[in-house]
Amino acid sequence: MGYPRPQLTLLLLLAAIALTGLGVREWRAGFPVAAERLDRFDREDPPPPIPPVPRPRALPRWSPARVEAAAPPRPAPRERAREAKPAAPAPADPRPLDLNHASVEQIARLPGVGPSLARRIVDERERVGRFDSPDRLRGILGLGPKKLAALREHVTVGE
Amino acid sequence: MRWLEAPLVPLAGATALGIATSAWIATPAWSLLCAGALALGLTSLALALGATRLATAGLLLLAVLLGVVRAISDPLPADHIARVAFGPRVSVEGRLAEEPVRWSADRTRLLIDLDGLRDGLDLRTVSGRIQVTLYGETPPVGEGQRVALDLKLSPPRAFKNPGAFDYPAFLRREGILLVGSGRADSLVALTADDPPWPVWVKRWAVSTTAGHLPATSAALLGGLLLGEKTGLPPEASEAFRRAGVYHILAVSGFNVALLASSVFFVLSTLGVPRRVTAVVAGAALVGFALVVGGQASVLRATVMGLLLLGALLLDRESQLMNALALAVLLLLAWRPGDLGEPGFQLSFAATAGIIHLAPPLTSWLIGKRWPGWLAAPMAVSLGAQAAVTPVMLVHFNQLSLIGIVANLVVVPMAAVGTTLGMLALLTAAVSAWAADVLFQALWPLLLALRAAVWVAARVPGAMVHLPAPSWAAIAAWCVALALLPYLGSRRWIRATVMVSLALVLGLSIWPWVAPDNGRLRVTFLDVGQGDAILVELPEGQRLLVDGGPGGNQRLDVGERVLAPFLWNRPTQRLDVVALTHPDSDHSGGLRAVLTRFGVREFWENGRWITGTEETLRAVERSGACRRTLVAGQRLWLGSALLTVLNPDGSRPLDDPPPEGQNEESLVLRLDWRGFSLLLTGDLGGPGEERLLADHAPVRALALKVGHHGSRYSSTGAFLDAVEPAVAIISVGARNSFGHPTPEVLGRLEAAGARIYRTDRDGAVILETDGITLSITRWASGTVERLDLDPERGA
Repeated sequence: MGYPRPQLTLLLLLAAIALTGLGVREWRAGFPVAAERLDRFDREDPPPPIPPVPRPRALPRWSPARVEAAAPPRPAPRERAREAKPAAPAPADPRPLDLNHASVEQIARLPGVGPSLARRIVDERERVGRFDSPDRLRGILGLGPKKLAALREHVTVGE
Repeated sequence: MRWLEAPLVPLAGATALGIATSAWIATPAWSLLCAGALALGLTSLALALGATRLATAGLLLLAVLLGVVRAISDPLPADHIARVAFGPRVSVEGRLAEEPVRWSADRTRLLIDLDGLRDGLDLRTVSGRIQVTLYGETPPVGEGQRVALDLKLSPPRAFKNPGAFDYPAFLRREGILLVGSGRADSLVALTADDPPWPVWVKRWAVSTTAGHLPATSAALLGGLLLGEKTGLPPEASEAFRRAGVYHILAVSGFNVALLASSVFFVLSTLGVPRRVTAVVAGAALVGFALVVGGQASVLRATVMGLLLLGALLLDRESQLMNALALAVLLLLAWRPGDLGEPGFQLSFAATAGIIHLAPPLTSWLIGKRWPGWLAAPMAVSLGAQAAVTPVMLVHFNQLSLIGIVANLVVVPMAAVGTTLGMLALLTAAVSAWAADVLFQALWPLLLALRAAVWVAARVPGAMVHLPAPSWAAIAAWCVALALLPYLGSRRWIRATVMVSLALVLGLSIWPWVAPDNGRLRVTFLDVGQGDAILVELPEGQRLLVDGGPGGNQRLDVGERVLAPFLWNRPTQRLDVVALTHPDSDHSGGLRAVLTRFGVREFWENGRWITGTEETLRAVERSGACRRTLVAGQRLWLGSALLTVLNPDGSRPLDDPPPEGQNEESLVLRLDWRGFSLLLTGDLGGPGEERLLADHAPVRALALKVGHHGSRYSSTGAFLDAVEPAVAIISVGARNSFGHPTPEVLGRLEAAGARIYRTDRDGAVILETDGITLSITRWASGTVERLDLDPERGA
């Protein structure tokens, strides 16, 4: 007794398909994120964005630290621009802060940075992995060129 | 093969020949018809006299003439949009001829069968089909819907470069004489979206697969089942191409055979009589063809499938080659323009190759002690590959070497996937739960298929790019393939095959071994609004300056223009790629160049801007040695000396340039024997002033006019210093900036320069041996010569 061979093959095949389907269904429901990632195995992530360069309508603003470091004398308009700038607030800590390892609280203690901006900086760090230069901060919401220039002498980037 | 076995093959060949030659035949249709009547009379006479050979020749000549007459396009009706005069901006009304194709979120392509043109307040009746690109978010519209929209209409324009794809001719074959572009928010739907049932079925199938599977797998299944490829991400389709298995994403004989055999299997299991089964299977094929649309491969497969089913119904023996020839005849009679389409050629070449070559190859392989289960698929793969190789090389310069092996693995997986997918879709009409189980069972298979393709595409040398073969080489290859099955029978056949193969080999190798002609060549490619300049030195070094426009938002010139142009030359290597500045009309096309060609060095000005991420990543991945150049550097490239004149390095790279990106353009000066060329990128007035103030060596014989002929570049003082004899403006036709401006053209004329423009002249090619300079305008083919030798007086 029993099914003939071709029917057996067909029914077994159907059972195998149903079993696979139910198994995969269960797994996809349990691990939706892993399933999505698995389906994207041959996809490429978009490249990291290059921060937008502000349109140079006015003359560029130089940070005090950079002006002191630069050897050649600056032309007159740039000197004026520097004098017009408010002096940077005194740093809370004389050593520069390592942006790649600092916590949100540490970053929030930097001059001109509040807790929400510090949070965004850390978010950005998590997104790009690590900053390879303080310039990578450019483009973060709430961190304009002026504030970035003021920040530069207080921060550094470590490995 | 004997004549009687496939009597339609010579007839189909003759008709195809007639259609192919019609482009060069200028005689009016009535004289051709007279010639046809004459041929008919003579053939009848020959037949009456019993000269059957002569009569056969006469019949074939008649077929050629009929092909020519069929292909000569009918005059346009008087109300055709191409014959109606209108202003630059028009409002039109019409019906969507197919579902919109969404290239990206804000770029959509529509095909519209026009019926009305709004001129002021009154609506004129017009006819004709146009292709429209809409920018912005297009509201949901579908096939068959009537819409009204505002457009800029113009004849399509091709980039006129050596070996370039003739886009207007392609559109003309599709019956499109005008293309339009407009903003998506001007689109107004005049009727509700009520598509015909095949469109409705297709939409339902696509949305059902997308509902059960993750995005990329759903897109792959859409390609397998329906040939719907728009959802597939570009890197995935690229992998399918590299692996030589892209054909499984098109609907072809593969799908048709699977569908017909599934119907047969089910119905015969249920005990339905054979003839009823054949009728049902035929109906299923026709319905399927209506749903997936009218590409050549679908029609070919459907016609052949119906013929085979018909033979079954009438208890006749079927001859595959004859069925194929009939499919050619029917398709060409209906749409003669398809003959030039790659899809048509690939489909018919592959089928003919399989029918003609697979049986002898199988027996040959089995003779070599291959197991039967491997020999048959291998022979099919080899036969198809051998037949499509010339087609792939002519249209795409591609030859997938891994394809022969990859097909052995991928095609069976695709067959199972397609069958299971069809089953799942049918189930979805009944029960969503049961369909979901089937789709989930299908998912690992789709992943495995993608993984196999991904691995095959990663194999080094999976695909090679070669110059398009000459006609002689293609003809020799066809002769060799046609005679291959009869290799053992006669000695002269063996000799002919050997001679043909030697000819193919010799013609293909010649460009590599041909001696150089000792000339420097500079090609200013026509890339629309943008720059792309290739410098080739007699010693073989090659420098590409800029890559034209590109990116996701627009036509990628790197893919469409630069890559084919470079592939059609024997070397696939670029010694240097230089990017004058990162604006997208200079950097966009470089992504494709850097990923597809070996690049030794990348010269840049060190500045990158938002929007060039893809290009920057391509630079980083290419492994090219990067050099940030500043004024004063001198670099030898073969026997040519390149001098960097700009930027001068006084403005730090991490700060925005004070006068804008253009003034930071790399300016390169090339000197070779008596020839000098100044490439100024997009340099404007302030930069030119700086060069003059620095006493940079700007005097040059040929000048690439700065910033596409913008009025803020090429100041009088600068041109006085350069004193160019030849000025080349790289500019797009009808560009929105108004380049080149009349001011600049006037200043160039005042400076005594001959002006060449890529928008009018196509590619401009300067070629020199150091004594004379010849300048070719590619569009018109005119060549002018200049004497460079000061002794002889210019």
